[in-house]
Amino acid sequence: MSALKRVQQWATFARIWHIYNAAWQNPFHSSELIKKYLMGMHKPIYHPMNDCGDHVIVINSADIALPGDEWKKRVYFHHTGYPGGATWTLAWNLHEKDPTMIIKKAVYNSMDGNLQRRYTMQRLHIFPDENVPKELLGNVSNEIRQLRPMPKRLDDYPEKDVKEFPKVIDYPKDYVLR
Amino acid sequence: MTTLFKIATNNYIKSVFNQAQRNISITSTLHLKKINEIQEGKDLVIYGEIVSSEREPYLLKSNHSKACPLCATGLDIKHTDVLILSQFVRKDGCMLPRRITGLCKTQQKRVTYLVAMAQKSGLMPNLTPAYSNKDPKKRYEWKKYNKYFDETTIPFKL
Ligand SMILES: [Zn+2]
Repeated sequence: MSALKRVQQWATFARIWHIYNAAWQNPFHSSELIKKYLMGMHKPIYHPMNDCGDHVIVINSADIALPGDEWKKRVYFHHTGYPGGATWTLAWNLHEKDPTMIIKKAVYNSMDGNLQRRYTMQRLHIFPDENVPKELLGNVSNEIRQLRPMPKRLDDYPEKDVKEFPKVIDYPKDYVLR
Repeated sequence: MTTLFKIATNNYIKSVFNQAQRNISITSTLHLKKINEIQEGKDLVIYGEIVSSEREPYLLKSNHSKACPLCATGLDIKHTDVLILSQFVRKDGCMLPRRITGLCKTQQKRVTYLVAMAQKSGLMPNLTPAYSNKDPKKRYEWKKYNKYFDETTIPFKL
């Protein structure tokens, strides 16, 4: 085997590390994307019996966004197994307790329940903020593109940009500014 | 004159009466005004001031004769376009009425929805009432978390 072929072989079967910024992203749409990288479905050599999945680091999981009023409508069910052991937790309550749990459950539920699922989940690293350990961040070689653009707050724009942005309407002639 | 006054009040034509009361002014009374409040020690000074509009040099020119200013631009506005939406609200984040915005009925309702969406997402925290704590992350319970909206849920379609 030539040196080039040898390196190609290593590169094909090496585990790659991806990073994904979850700020302002829908966790349930993102999980369908993250799942493909975790299972290695984006590779031409993919096969369910082929262990070719990659690592994914998810940052800013505390800043995920849900549509509309889903924070108080989505419910997580848990049963301890004892009589009367059922609990229903609202999404915002769960997020308050553990800001990584919603995205973790979303990725877990997006995959089929087979023996590989637990091992695939071990390759997912979720952090509530941007503080990722250096030894993990050193492995990262790819950033997964966000699904929706991050909105910019009005007070984050410089005052000059807000003032000089093209105006659609002007005040009437006799208007008292408020 | 007295007979005219009688006829006017009998027929509920108030405008005749009002116009008789109107003062004559040599200069134009129509100006953009601003009310300033300045606290000087114990005294609160409130005075009105005639100002020229800051928006005038940046106003979009429209070739349409009938379309409202927003329809004339032909834009599909999203709730994240805070630079446009902030033009339709007061300093406290309250939506301006239609007689001031000059929009058509559909656009006025749409913009009202979009402004509410932007406010709920916490994208215009500097345009809020004075009692607001200005930080969306300090809001109550579920309101402190990021949320986004789908513009197709607005019942007023263009
Ligand atoms: Zn219009």
